[in-house]
Amino acid sequence: MRKFSLSAILLVSLWACETHQAPSAEAYQAALDSTRVAKPEISQEVITDILQQIPSPLEISVLLKESGTAYNQAMLNDPQKTSVYNTNYEKAINLGIYGTDLGYTNIYEQNQDAIFYLNSIKELADELSIGQFFDFGTIKRLATNSSNLDSLLYLTTKNFNNINAFLQDQKRSNLSILILTGGWLEALHITCQVAEKNPNNKVLIERIGEQKMIMDNIMLLLSFYSESNSSMAAYMKELQPLADAFGKVEIVHTYAEPTFVEVDGMLVVQDNSTSEVIMSPENLKEIASHTQSIRKNIIK
Amino acid sequence: MKKVFVTFSFLAFFLFAGNVANAQCSASELADNCITQLGDGFNFVKSFPVDGEGGGKNKIEYSYVFAKGTEYSINLCTDGDTADGIVVSLYDSNRRKLTTNAANGKIFKGLRYNCNSTGIYYITFTFDGSSTHCGGSVLGFKR
Repeated sequence: MRKFSLSAILLVSLWACETHQAPSAEAYQAALDSTRVAKPEISQEVITDILQQIPSPLEISVLLKESGTAYNQAMLNDPQKTSVYNTNYEKAINLGIYGTDLGYTNIYEQNQDAIFYLNSIKELADELSIGQFFDFGTIKRLATNSSNLDSLLYLTTKNFNNINAFLQDQKRSNLSILILTGGWLEALHITCQVAEKNPNNKVLIERIGEQKMIMDNIMLLLSFYSESNSSMAAYMKELQPLADAFGKVEIVHTYAEPTFVEVDGMLVVQDNSTSEVIMSPENLKEIASHTQSIRKNIIK
Repeated sequence: MKKVFVTFSFLAFFLFAGNVANAQCSASELADNCITQLGDGFNFVKSFPVDGEGGGKNKIEYSYVFAKGTEYSINLCTDGDTADGIVVSLYDSNRRKLTTNAANGKIFKGLRYNCNSTGIYYITFTFDGSSTHCGGSVLGFKR
């Protein structure tokens, strides 16, 4: 009888197992102990909905490359600095920063630099017990051959998506918020740096102003945790001057009915609406300046 | 003994039923495999599982910030060659319906959107005569 019950429990346990290799309970617990927070007063579903809106930093890298901007490694974070990030919060936000740097090096097909950033990501992800979602072996193999760019971009993007989904499933969205915030801040930093050297590039300047929408989302996400978690509150405070600078940006939308045509079996829709960013040169400088100082504090 | 047998049978039934339900719709797998459907030059952004739970769920929604000057591709994958009645619709931040893959009397397996207005867009999946209520979708972009 007892054997039978034990078998049933074992069977149930096996059935309940996830297919991916999760870290051991102890490792996971240890990694997240310092990030334990009281539940935010908002539902997980709302947090996930807002998080998924944050655009991929790859979009900025593609924009820069296609506008003819040269690759500049000096703008990126030093891949050797992983050891200075001590808390899980620092690790998560810098994981996001390295993620954007990796995407940038990939888009520009700078294989050697990509390997450096990949190693940094592996180190931080392992320390956060989320390294199992990153297929480092395959990514490294793909990164050494530029003809694999599509697969490389797909796999790195998918791995980061999986990490964020896992953290949200585990009700640890605060780390997911920091990863996405770091990734976004690094993309903004790169854009500001390039825009400073190309003051006539209106597309880049407009793209900076448009980040007001993402800034609002990030501040909203941080606010959900700020009362229950002092580290999240500190990041919110750190980002506040940038949010204030973005607050002066105005975005005007004008709606017009879209039109569509059928091309090779695909429906191709032309958006006839427009959006216009209204931002003074002083405001742009203010955004760039706050971005640099916040990033400097974060990357140390 | 009888009590244990009944308890075990009860547990096994629910677990087995859960497994069968999962096997019915491999939405995440369909979404992941849909990457190959993105056209030339498109970069993968996100995959969207579309699991209508056998008809129990009639709308699945995701959202993303589209950027001006960027072309987005939303591709749909099912177990078959058609869209199987899965309708993907795009709404702007004011919840104004902009487009759908149901046009010209048919349901396309995806759509491309040349964005000219940066903002939050809502991508919804609904079902119109779908036999499986199951599919996957991917979002890609190119400049």
